[in-house]
Amino acid sequence: MRRILYTFCFAFTLGLVFLVGRTATAQNNDYFMYVGTYTGFKHVHHSKPYGRGESKSKGIYVSRFHAATGELGKPELAAEMINPSFLTISSDHRFLYAVSEDPLSVGPPLDHSSYVSAFAIDHATGKLRLLNTVPASGTSTCFISIDKTGKYVMVANFGSGSVSVIHIKEDGSLGDLTAFIQDVGHSVDPTIQNEPHTHSILVSPDNRYAIVSDLGLDKVLIFHFDAENGKLSPPDPPFATVYPGGGPRHFTFDPAGRFGYQLSEMSGIVDVYAWDPERGTLTGVQRVHTVPHDFVGSNHSAEIEIHPSGKFLYESNRRTKSETERAPDTIGVYAIDSSNGTLSLVEQSLTGGIMPRSFKIDPTGTYLLAANELSNNVVLFKIDNATGRLTKTGKEIGVDTPVCIQFVPVRD
Amino acid sequence: MKRILHLVLLAFLVVCFVPFAFSAPASEYFVYFGTYTGFTYMNEGLPAGGSHSKGIYVSRFKPATGEVSTPEVAAEIVNPAFLVVHPNQRFLYAATEDPLSLGPDFDHASYVSAFSIDSKTGKLTLLNTLPTGGTSTCYLSIDKTGKYVLMANFGSSTVTVLRIKDDGSLGEQTAFMKHLGRGRDPAFQSQAHPHSIDVSPDNRYAIVSDLGVDKVFIYRFDAATGALSPDEPPFVAAESGGGPRHFVFDAAGKFGYALKEMSGVVTVLAWDPSKGTLTSVQDANTLAADFIGSNDSAEIAIHPNGKFLYESNRRSRGGSLWGPDSIGVFSIDPVKGTLSEVEQVPPGGTMPRNFALDPTGSYLFSANELTGNVLLFRIDAKTGRLAPTTTNLKIDVPVSIVFVPSQR
Repeated sequence: MRRILYTFCFAFTLGLVFLVGRTATAQNNDYFMYVGTYTGFKHVHHSKPYGRGESKSKGIYVSRFHAATGELGKPELAAEMINPSFLTISSDHRFLYAVSEDPLSVGPPLDHSSYVSAFAIDHATGKLRLLNTVPASGTSTCFISIDKTGKYVMVANFGSGSVSVIHIKEDGSLGDLTAFIQDVGHSVDPTIQNEPHTHSILVSPDNRYAIVSDLGLDKVLIFHFDAENGKLSPPDPPFATVYPGGGPRHFTFDPAGRFGYQLSEMSGIVDVYAWDPERGTLTGVQRVHTVPHDFVGSNHSAEIEIHPSGKFLYESNRRTKSETERAPDTIGVYAIDSSNGTLSLVEQSLTGGIMPRSFKIDPTGTYLLAANELSNNVVLFKIDNATGRLTKTGKEIGVDTPVCIQFVPVRD
Repeated sequence: MKRILHLVLLAFLVVCFVPFAFSAPASEYFVYFGTYTGFTYMNEGLPAGGSHSKGIYVSRFKPATGEVSTPEVAAEIVNPAFLVVHPNQRFLYAATEDPLSLGPDFDHASYVSAFSIDSKTGKLTLLNTLPTGGTSTCYLSIDKTGKYVLMANFGSSTVTVLRIKDDGSLGEQTAFMKHLGRGRDPAFQSQAHPHSIDVSPDNRYAIVSDLGVDKVFIYRFDAATGALSPDEPPFVAAESGGGPRHFVFDAAGKFGYALKEMSGVVTVLAWDPSKGTLTSVQDANTLAADFIGSNDSAEIAIHPNGKFLYESNRRSRGGSLWGPDSIGVFSIDPVKGTLSEVEQVPPGGTMPRNFALDPTGSYLFSANELTGNVLLFRIDAKTGRLAPTTTNLKIDVPVSIVFVPSQR
């Protein structure tokens, strides 16, 4: 009897996986690829805008992406908006949420406020219709994610060192601020770590915790998340640490929810942690240096993502030898040991541009798209699904100051 | 018949609107006291003594006789450090200052709660609680339309605005502004510290006193959306190290008065409502020239008759040698808005962080944080002078006082 039950459970789970898999992939393998940009400034360096002049972007762009062939359509403006530097999509693919990073300023020294906008996605055209805009309750808001129930957006406010949770109403628009947590403290780097700088926030696979990477504190903070009311509260112990001066930026769980991977911006270290979902703790397993030992210059690692197969990890690195000389910029490819979660280097691939602040693996796991902020291009790489290696396809599209990519399946 | 209908209609209108015509003095008021429940006072980074308060307290008050009933708990709530009453007198809003922390060093978040007021018993019923979007939230005010609550978040250097729904509960955030910079004093001015926010009489501007950066900010306020945007110029500078804390407009909306915490200076400013500009007219000193020690001025208020200004001063001569604390009384020149000192009166306790004038202008309630008492003073309507009464309420760590007319 018990065996029949197990079989039934297995079949049911398989069915669920199949269903979820179905909703995640599009008919005809067609996707809308949304690109978030900076419209107000290129890049801030030593408190001044830096790069090849001002951005000419007008907001969020959309391009048709055909995952079977890797074909990329001409990007079109999907919504006019100031500094949509990070985007996230609701799990039912009906809504897109974008941060508007400091629209009144030209960079962190002049911060006043950042905002979050809710958009409805037009499934015929991919165009975005603004639902509403609310303050993010912070400055230099640089990250947004959605909890598993789809009822809350979570944002990291880099400038003011806080995180906010905002309720999503039935119609997809944004409502009350349900949680606000101000980080307090500093770490060893006197220029960037003299105050807290939250860089990302995302929920655990079971939706019971939220992980906050604080670049200023060298801490990976773990909060209890209550999906009933959208509240955050600190657990005990409330954080894991990284190597001092590292600067935790982005974090990702593996698909099975057993391991967490923390990318630190300045050190370029990926910390591998074992995740205990019962107790909400991260325990150090491995510390991987993505920067070569003989590298001289400055490193700013940016994005981290795990392949849908769970077998490979990708992370991007923005590097300079001096004020004028690039280092060069790379995307690191790592194989993940399925039993203990540890990483081993496969390769460091060139990004086909300058300053890969972000990249994204398409939902079918066939391609990786690198968003090169300073060279104004999104470059398409083919992923070898046996080795994880990246091969340049020769395809790319021009988008001014691209800094975030998200996919929505096209349902014709 | 038509005439009777008119009379009935008139009677109906009178019944409907008289209760809301709160400019006419009520015979009895509820007076609410906000307190700290979690800590009393931080001294060199450590809490100095513990509080036994349970939240917001309420007493009945008769302005004709000065009679005040024994305070009772109106609502249990953590650290209701600042209270404000909705213009319709039906709702009360309270800041909950950093409930998870023991003071600014351990900030996580502050909250704001909406309560409905039982106009017969004075008891408060919680409607909802939301994060203020900042830490060490120490000040609340409501715009003239009654649709927004504006907050100063001292700890995280921000001001925020939340929408008030028709049922009095709190809704989404409509504005957030972060202040940057620092002032001269390394202890209190290492970062921006907005201490108060109030709309202008015409509801088109919001004035923010920032203790950390020695500036009085002027924001444009859009009552249609609840948004704030920086005015041009965005601020008026205060004296270095002064520490702007609270600001008040005169009844006619011609002058503004900025009280600076550390310097104890009240700056009189001419207010131009058409341009949204403040122009300095006078610096009135509340500290005696020969005073030696540290001064922390706190509250400022103008008498309902527009003739007198009151401000409180917490002083110490080092360590725990508190005092001499005082409440300063100034007369206001009706033409120029300038101040001249009438007297400085001991507040009847230690650390008068807050005081309030009752709506009839007959009494001043002095809230003495460290001695845990509220002393009533009788106000001389001709001279503005304060005469202490024998009414002395025991309330642990009182720091905010507001009045609501009672109905019975």
